[in-house]
Amino acid sequence: MTALLVILVFGPLLGATVAGLFGRRIGDTPSRVITTGFLFLSCFLSWYTFSQVTWGEWGGQHIVRLLPFINVADFHSDWSIRLDALSAVMLVVVTSVSALVHLYSWGYMADDPSKPRFFAYLSLFTFAMLMLVTAADFMQLFFGWEGVGLASYLLIGFWFHKPTANAASIKAFVVNRVGDFGFALGIMTIYWMFHTIRFAELFPLIAAKAGTNWTFISQEWSALDLAAILLFIGAMGKSAQFFLHTWLPDAMEGPTPVSALIHAATMVTAGVYMVCLLSPLFEYAPAARTLVTVIGATTALFAATVGLAQNDIKRVIAYSTCSQLGYMFFAAGVGAYQAAMFHLFTHAFFKALLFLGAGSVINGMHHEQDMRKMGALWKLMPITYAVMTIGTIAITGIGIPGLDLGFAGFYSKDTIIEAAWAASGSPAGAFAFVVGVFAAGLTAFYSWRLVFMTFHGTGKWKHDDHAHDAHADHDDDHGHGHGDHGHAHVPHESPWVMLVPLLLLSIGAIGAGFAFHEYFVGEGQVEFWKGAIFNGPHNEILHHAHLAPLDIKLAPLVATAIGTIGAIWVYLLNEGMRARIAANGGPIHTFIYNKWFFDELYNATFVRGAKFLGDLFWKGGDQKIIDGLGPNGVAAVTAFAGKGVGKIQTGYVYHYAFVMLLGVAGLLSYALWAWAR
Amino acid sequence: MMDFSGAVALALPEIILAVGALILLMVGAFGGDKSTGLVSVGSGGVLIAGAVAAAYGPLGSTFNGGFVADNAAAFAKVFIYGFSAVGVLLGDRWLKRMAASKFEFPVLIVIAALGMGMMASAGDLISLYIGVELQSLALYVLCAFRRDDAKASEAGLKYFVLGALSSGLLLYGASLIYGFAGSTKFVDIAAAVQAGAGQGAIFGVVFLICGLAFKVSAAPFHMWTPDVYEGAPTPVVAFVAAAPKMAAMVLFARALLQGFPGAVGQWQQVLVVVAALSMGWGALAGLRQRNLKRLLAYSSVTNIGYALLGIAAGTDQGVTAMLVFMVLYMIDTTGLFACLLALNRDGKPMETLADFAGLAKEKPGLALCITGLSFSVMGIPPFAGFWAKFYVFKAAIAAGLWPIAVFGLVASVVAAFYYLRIIKTMWFDPSPGRTDASPLDARGVAVAAALFSCGLVVLALNPLDTVAKLAAAAFHLS
Amino acid sequence: MIGLSHYLTVAAILFTIGVFGIFVNRKNVIIIMMSIELILLAVNINLVAFSAYLHDVSGQIFAMFVLTVAAAEAAVGLAILVTFFRNRGDIAVDDASMMKG
Repeated sequence: MTALLVILVFGPLLGATVAGLFGRRIGDTPSRVITTGFLFLSCFLSWYTFSQVTWGEWGGQHIVRLLPFINVADFHSDWSIRLDALSAVMLVVVTSVSALVHLYSWGYMADDPSKPRFFAYLSLFTFAMLMLVTAADFMQLFFGWEGVGLASYLLIGFWFHKPTANAASIKAFVVNRVGDFGFALGIMTIYWMFHTIRFAELFPLIAAKAGTNWTFISQEWSALDLAAILLFIGAMGKSAQFFLHTWLPDAMEGPTPVSALIHAATMVTAGVYMVCLLSPLFEYAPAARTLVTVIGATTALFAATVGLAQNDIKRVIAYSTCSQLGYMFFAAGVGAYQAAMFHLFTHAFFKALLFLGAGSVINGMHHEQDMRKMGALWKLMPITYAVMTIGTIAITGIGIPGLDLGFAGFYSKDTIIEAAWAASGSPAGAFAFVVGVFAAGLTAFYSWRLVFMTFHGTGKWKHDDHAHDAHADHDDDHGHGHGDHGHAHVPHESPWVMLVPLLLLSIGAIGAGFAFHEYFVGEGQVEFWKGAIFNGPHNEILHHAHLAPLDIKLAPLVATAIGTIGAIWVYLLNEGMRARIAANGGPIHTFIYNKWFFDELYNATFVRGAKFLGDLFWKGGDQKIIDGLGPNGVAAVTAFAGKGVGKIQTGYVYHYAFVMLLGVAGLLSYALWAWAR
Repeated sequence: MMDFSGAVALALPEIILAVGALILLMVGAFGGDKSTGLVSVGSGGVLIAGAVAAAYGPLGSTFNGGFVADNAAAFAKVFIYGFSAVGVLLGDRWLKRMAASKFEFPVLIVIAALGMGMMASAGDLISLYIGVELQSLALYVLCAFRRDDAKASEAGLKYFVLGALSSGLLLYGASLIYGFAGSTKFVDIAAAVQAGAGQGAIFGVVFLICGLAFKVSAAPFHMWTPDVYEGAPTPVVAFVAAAPKMAAMVLFARALLQGFPGAVGQWQQVLVVVAALSMGWGALAGLRQRNLKRLLAYSSVTNIGYALLGIAAGTDQGVTAMLVFMVLYMIDTTGLFACLLALNRDGKPMETLADFAGLAKEKPGLALCITGLSFSVMGIPPFAGFWAKFYVFKAAIAAGLWPIAVFGLVASVVAAFYYLRIIKTMWFDPSPGRTDASPLDARGVAVAAALFSCGLVVLALNPLDTVAKLAAAAFHLS
Repeated sequence: MIGLSHYLTVAAILFTIGVFGIFVNRKNVIIIMMSIELILLAVNINLVAFSAYLHDVSGQIFAMFVLTVAAAEAAVGLAILVTFFRNRGDIAVDDASMMKG
């Protein structure tokens, strides 16, 4: 088992190393084969592990210690692989999506000149993610956390000659640092309180500390709440939750397979994973859970509204991701960690499917991402159309409540909403429930809107000369042109190497919910999780959720139906309406089109404020006062004087003579003045 | 009053030089350029004979006090004639390589050396003026020696015009001093000033200081220095940068300390300003230089500022420091110019900073020499330049001139930048191409100077200190 | 009665004219040479006037030396000027500005 897990986790690292270091020497194809091969191996091993943990003999929790990492006094940390139901689920999600994305990239990145680098980054990311999910203590969790952040930064800025990509990568990096700061503080708080950072040692200690309060700024603080909130701030950054969400839409500057892998299926869910992993902590931190619920619900609503008005196909899906992550968080917040994990699981399939489908569209449209320039693609790209429709049905959660029969999203999202209903005794829970239902309608609207604008209606690419220019620009920008420029105007279906991953994912999008809901959230969940997720003695949310009356179970479906009908009305039956809405806009459209003005707000407050503060301390304090009097000032005066002194040396004899006479006159005057004293 | 033979004995070094120069001129005139080699060797011999005569000659004063042969003069002459001989060597070899050998060159150096000897031994204003002019006229010609070189003739012209102006200032000051003190002899002037010769004489001192400051290229009378250094033939610059400075500094010291010992307070204030200006100006203006010869010109301005600090101290210790400083500086600067002479690329001299890129790979030995000499001029212990500055600062602080000493330290930090830049360029930048083989004479001088500045100086410091103290004692200061 | 101060004033004026001649004149190097002669002559007037006033001969000896050296100086200066002219074909003061900075 140890050997198997080591191969599973370190295979991608090996692939990344080979492709990264020797990619140029061994060529594109070997790099691709090696990285993709290792990923499929990992994927296979993950499913095997998952089955063993779930149904087989392995059961329970295993911690494989690999190497000691830090051993200072009572601070111990090891490199290890933690295997339990929770990490097994994540292993499956990460390796499956990653393997399919690797394969998909064969087609999508076919024209890119630096394929080995791309595949190396992808594999590196996968390794970091695996380190994260198999971490047995906070150090390794943090290592993986930063590792995925780094890989994400590298991949967002993969097309580094694109200034927007560079800016986006830096933005992602900076926003994530805010979260990481909270995360690191949280880890320190934990260590301070418990003198250990190993999960296995930590969790049993938590219940005893439940009542502990700390006095800070003459306020009583629950210590556990403080720690949990700090850690949740880290999760907010990584999972693009409200306030720290701004980097995610911009991260779409990266290649689409990256968006699918990192910014939909895996990395952004790390925050959810962490909250579920730390369920023993959060269970005893009610204030933190309330915060998680409110932030999650707000994100779900906010992102869904913004998604309504975006025109960039990838950005719509990015906001959709943001919104779905909000669902997961408020599920965890109300105590239904299993539901959060389940949604994470199903979401990985259909969101990766949607992203890769969008990538297929973008590829077919010659790197056009604006949905206003698409339309009527269903005939030209039938398979992409089919899988996108499947993905959309899955995300909107269509199914039959009475029979418990539907697509993946149906099971997970409805469970979440029911859990929120079950928790609606508290204001936060009630808020989450209302938002959950309402956002389900919005989700349906923007998801179908995407499908209709892209695949139905009239094809705006046909008579649009501009589109060609734009696409030419894009080609230049992306640095990977197309071989088929002869018929560049006509969108085309993607190659099979891209379609196969789509088809495989669509199987997941259809069946993952049906196949697994009994285990994740159903009656068998205790058996399934085997204690990997902790529920407090009074937490019976899931049980209550299952007892929800039929009208509650129907509510999300009704909302979805209304949203769907709305989308059909606006985008299918009255095609010109969208443009009219956009044109006449009104304040609401402007508001959501501009993403609630978050970027502007942050620019005005934090960015400019930070700049101001920075200027104050750096330019004012440091540069002007310290450096101004000290080294820089001397250097500047020196350089300036050097210039001035050099200017006097004009080369003209009469100037030299003049300087000499000035010297004589000056010295005489000075002497007379000095002597007269 | 001394008899004639006694007078001749006292002035023997100068007589050897004067007669030697005339004979060599005759040899050259009759032998033509073929005899250049002979004239050069003869010049070298004459200079060394002069140095020996100065070192072992009798002490005293003659020609009605116009010629003084004391320890200070002897000290200066030994080094002046010695460095002039090095100048003959470098110049003769260089001109031969340029296929521009002329017998006048060594003769002119001998004549210039004669002028410097006169300066060092000047006991009154007339011999001061004769010495200065003899030296200057020879140097003007030497600077414009390459008659087909536009830069050299421009350098000569500038040097001449400004030099003549400075001579005018000096003379005007001398005439005022003569008029108000009633004598041209330093000893009598000192007595008259002591008796209260009035403001006129001291007014004249300022003019005198201005004229002499030009000769040592102190700011703000240094304007000629960078242009002449750049334009004049490099061996001439190597000569101009060393021996004449020594002569002018000794003359400076003698004129002020023997002629105006009672007015130290007055001229000290002026001299401090000149020293400060030199240190600051040289350090700042050097920052922008890309031409090594100009850079060394500004470096010399800075260093003369330090040397003037020694005189400004007005004490025995100060003069000792000045003499030690000048000797060590002469060795450094001659070494650096020898390095420049030794370096050519495709037959062209390497003069800009860019030319020196990657020299460490091309000519590691010479690069090491330049590095060592640069460290020395920067004043990094334990190299020669450090001891030179150490002496001067110590003397200045002892004389209560500590603010100006602090200013000098700051200036040396600024000036260190451009030496560091040279070193960095040589060792870390990529080389633009191969350099030519370096001639033996220049390389030899460079290596010798580097060896001295970077090692032997520690051994030489004690005897040098002893001799310099003896020399300084000639001024009878406290 | 013409006294010492008159001579000194004339000399000072001549000196000043000479000095100004060097840096106000921007045309011809020959004029600079003339200005230099003017300075030296001003000095000579000073020296001779002082010599007469002091009844001391050394001032006049000094003046003789100055005259002699001035002649040599003019010779050397003109020689340099000739080489300069041969190189540049001009003796304008502005021309002598190849080297600067």
